[in-house]
Amino acid sequence: MKRQIGVRKEISTNSDIAISVKNLQKSFRLPTEKSFGLKQAIFNHLRGVKGYKEQHVLKDINFEIKKGEFVGIVGRNGSGKSTLLKTLAGIYYPEKGEIIVDGTLIPFIELGVGFNPELTGRENVYLNGAMLGFSNEEIDKMYDDIWNFAELKEFQNQKLKNYSSGMQVRLAFSIAIRARGDILLLDEVLAVGDAAFQQKCTDYFASLHGNQTVILVTHSMQNIRQFCDRAILIENGKVTLDSSPEEVAKAYENLFK
Amino acid sequence: MNIPNVFNRRNRILLKELTKTDFKLRYQNSILGYLWALLRPLMMFAILYFVFSVLLPIGKDDPHYPVYLLIGTTMWSFFTECTSQGMQAIVVRGDLLRKISFPKYIVVVSATLTAVINMLINLIVIVIFALINGITPSFSWLLVIPAIFELYCLSLGIAFLLGSINVKYRDITSIWDVFVQALFYAIPIIYKISMVAGTIQEPSHPFIAKALLLNPIAQCIQDIRFAFISAVGPVDTTWSYIHNPLVSIIPVIIVLAVLIIGALVFRKKSKFFAEEV
Repeated sequence: MKRQIGVRKEISTNSDIAISVKNLQKSFRLPTEKSFGLKQAIFNHLRGVKGYKEQHVLKDINFEIKKGEFVGIVGRNGSGKSTLLKTLAGIYYPEKGEIIVDGTLIPFIELGVGFNPELTGRENVYLNGAMLGFSNEEIDKMYDDIWNFAELKEFQNQKLKNYSSGMQVRLAFSIAIRARGDILLLDEVLAVGDAAFQQKCTDYFASLHGNQTVILVTHSMQNIRQFCDRAILIENGKVTLDSSPEEVAKAYENLFK
Repeated sequence: MNIPNVFNRRNRILLKELTKTDFKLRYQNSILGYLWALLRPLMMFAILYFVFSVLLPIGKDDPHYPVYLLIGTTMWSFFTECTSQGMQAIVVRGDLLRKISFPKYIVVVSATLTAVINMLINLIVIVIFALINGITPSFSWLLVIPAIFELYCLSLGIAFLLGSINVKYRDITSIWDVFVQALFYAIPIIYKISMVAGTIQEPSHPFIAKALLLNPIAQCIQDIRFAFISAVGPVDTTWSYIHNPLVSIIPVIIVLAVLIIGALVFRKKSKFFAEEV
């Protein structure tokens, strides 16, 4: 049952590499039995059945990202992009290999982490803010800006369950963009909302470009071409192309032809 | 988990906000709201008091039995709430674990802190009860602090240990529920330890009485009772009842062992919580 564990280190130096990934591997154990629990575990043990099968999601990932670079990661559904991002973020442990992160890293795996439908909009702002590392005092200072930007000020004392999903996303986005870290990890979270919201996202990306190290996972080749300095194509848990946005976008589009 | 980071700024903010949210949510959508933190144990006390002081003769001769009983039920509720909320915290907060990276012990500690807040509110009630009961305040009341701290350490240790197993095998929660019911009777919450031991003239089960007092929960509860009641009436504690100091230290050793083992197991397993939960 002993599982190997790779290395993930957070350091703070003046080198120009923000993230370096070497020989990263990650696999999951997918249970093959339908029922979970102690009973099944004991049966499996007695029968000598493993009760799970290994699914190799990331096979051998190597890349480096320089400080200030805006890098896109693309790939089909199930190619391992999200697992890669979660492993970079420290949510999953690397199984083998090494990840070195230089600087503070802010992951947006999803907007509105911790949002609770039973709490008011106001309470959720403080709660979600805490997830992003903001103290109450810091939120106090940006409180009005958050609501003005989300254009939801009159709903701030309503419970979140009375918000439409679009309103929730706008509020979450309005908090998220205030997060300050050396490296931002964005997972497609911004691919929702109406045209006006999309425009706000585009403006946000544009404001990040050149000022901030960003890793963006997306299916939008338009975003890749418009904002990225570089892009990485992942297929089947491996980096198959690490090149200019234009080349990667073309290769990605060719996957579906 | 490296030690210098355990209480860094971000973790403190998270812990505070999660605890606040837990406490708020528990009494959402109820008319009496936070009052329930007081009412629930008081109602349990009222029932037990009626049965064991009015109907059955357990507390009849002792004018301080209400305080004795209230301390027992309050601390017992604290222990059960702490452990069951704590061990379920990882599963309940699974959503969070899968989306942000943070030390996982924070969700367990925040769940137990809610129980601590409830217990502290009830401690105020105990003080009021004691005053009404005619017990004069004294410095010995301060002895409750180490005893409560010890009980919290034990609860936290159990929450860490069983919580890390509960992620994979949810049976743990059900097993614990049953176990706790049995444990209730093995601790002098309603009865007094002297009823088990009998008198010197007519000993009934003095050995069992000693064994019961080696349970750290019983030891803590008796110590808290001692702190409040000893000035006006006798309270048997582990320390007064068991004369061999090497034996009477056993409860404290159990607490330390559970806490250390729990923390180590949790630390080892917590790396995989995000993918297993």
